[in-house]
Amino acid sequence: MSGMPPLLEAHGLVKRLGGRLVVDGVDLVCHGGQVLGLLGPNGAGKTTTLRMLYGFLSADAGVIRFEGADVSRQLSRFKRQLGVCTQEDTFDGDFTVRENLEIAASYFRPRPPAVGRRVDELLERFALATYAGDKPEALSGGFRRRLMIARALVHRPRMLFLDEPTTGLDPQARVAVWDLVNGLRADGLGIVLTTHYMDEAERLSDVLTVLAQGKVAAHGTPKSVLGDMLGEHVVVLPADGPSRPAVATWLDAHGLGEPLTVLGAWHLPLSGEQLADFAHAFPALRYEVRPPNLDDLFLKLALPCTA
Amino acid sequence: MHGLRAAIEWQSRAVVGRHLRVYLKNWHTSFLPPVLEPITLLLAFGLGLGAYMSSGIEWHGRSVGYMNFVAPGMLAYATFMTAIFQSLFGAFIRMRYQRTWEGQLTTQIELRHVVWGEILWAALLTTTYVAIVGLVLSVCQAVGLLQLELAFLPVVIPIVFVAASAFAALGLCFTALVPTIDHMNLPIFLVVLPLGFVSATYFPLGHPVLAAISIANPLYHLAEGLRGLLLAGDGTGHLAGLAALLAVMLAVLVPLDMRLLRKRVLGD
Repeated sequence: MSGMPPLLEAHGLVKRLGGRLVVDGVDLVCHGGQVLGLLGPNGAGKTTTLRMLYGFLSADAGVIRFEGADVSRQLSRFKRQLGVCTQEDTFDGDFTVRENLEIAASYFRPRPPAVGRRVDELLERFALATYAGDKPEALSGGFRRRLMIARALVHRPRMLFLDEPTTGLDPQARVAVWDLVNGLRADGLGIVLTTHYMDEAERLSDVLTVLAQGKVAAHGTPKSVLGDMLGEHVVVLPADGPSRPAVATWLDAHGLGEPLTVLGAWHLPLSGEQLADFAHAFPALRYEVRPPNLDDLFLKLALPCTA
Repeated sequence: MHGLRAAIEWQSRAVVGRHLRVYLKNWHTSFLPPVLEPITLLLAFGLGLGAYMSSGIEWHGRSVGYMNFVAPGMLAYATFMTAIFQSLFGAFIRMRYQRTWEGQLTTQIELRHVVWGEILWAALLTTTYVAIVGLVLSVCQAVGLLQLELAFLPVVIPIVFVAASAFAALGLCFTALVPTIDHMNLPIFLVVLPLGFVSATYFPLGHPVLAAISIANPLYHLAEGLRGLLLAGDGTGHLAGLAALLAVMLAVLVPLDMRLLRKRVLGD
């Protein structure tokens, strides 16, 4: 991947909305055939960043490049290469499923070739053929999402933006969307995905960019991001146990600050060395050691915001 | 300039194309209002109210039958109301409830195209509506109910298109400002209906205060301009005033629509 030029790259993106700094110097890169997961708690700036990337909002500062070219100079040509699936359903309720795909194709120039055949192909691939003549409102949540993604692909874009594509779906529908995303990655599309579901981010993303308070808090593969931000292990122990003062003192002494408290338990992200030291300091303490996951990262980022 | 050029760009036409496709899907109900409304109004105002004015109405020093007076006013009022209502309710529903705009804005269509697309669609719809009303008036003339200068009817079409564009720009301005669809009553009762009444569409403006106010009302100039054309074959004075007012409206309201809707739709 490193030898190929990035499909999409953004440097120093800044956006103020209503006088508030929402995105503050975000950098990111996405290659073809790669899923970039954009993560962060509510208010971290994910959707605003995504909206700048697909040209819905203009950046106050920073540059977005598509295959090395500054998109601000040729925004319309850039947008021809993009497919966007927004968080909310924005399909056209006046049209049937098939007509939604046809009308979406009419919003692009050069016109997508052989639209009818492309629509048939998408209806088939997204298992929507049975509902082609129905209005979208008649579809279940999972099929509505499929329609949204199919609509974003009708003009054969090279980049796809998925803003929380599985929010509100049942597990079966989520897995179906994951399969579709995997297939699109295999087709060579560059995909930028935002999600609240950590399992989704971990399964789908080749690379993660973690945002917190409008800034990039971490970037890399899911494993490296977890290692950089949390350490190699997470120790879980009761927050109200008799050893609490001693553990708090130990954390202070190791510069680890306040631990994460979830449902009455402390979750302490530790490196291998710190874990050995912890075990040595508290030989009689009962606790659980597990590998870190993106939920830990999410909580670590979210808790200061929600406090 | 950038915003003005958007009026003729393909994206604005694509937006109009989308609205046209929806309209044609529902053609059997879409064509009913422009056919039935003039018939109803001619019956109500012309035959009903007109029966109390058997000597007609004095217009520019001559007596004119009330139905003949009302018919051009009906074209003007239809222009005003159709354009305003399409850009108020139609656009608001697409923006707020159907999220059509948001979907369009994720493609190569940008906000300036959405704005122009809505304005041009409202103008096209209005012109079609008025053309159908014109056909109904022609039928009425053929059966002896009206005596109009129908040769000037084709001239009405481009005038209506430009006037409807300006009225739609006014409607979009309210669409950008009203927080909910329930608040539509404010612009309707504070602006739209007063403008409609002070316009000489259905009755002449005898009161000097109303006459003075009407000078600044584009609907008044449209009604009198069309009346001049269809009753006397000349509406130049009012049409010149109308052209000036419409030019000012478009120059001020379209950029204002774009600014207000950028804030409303993009949050920017």
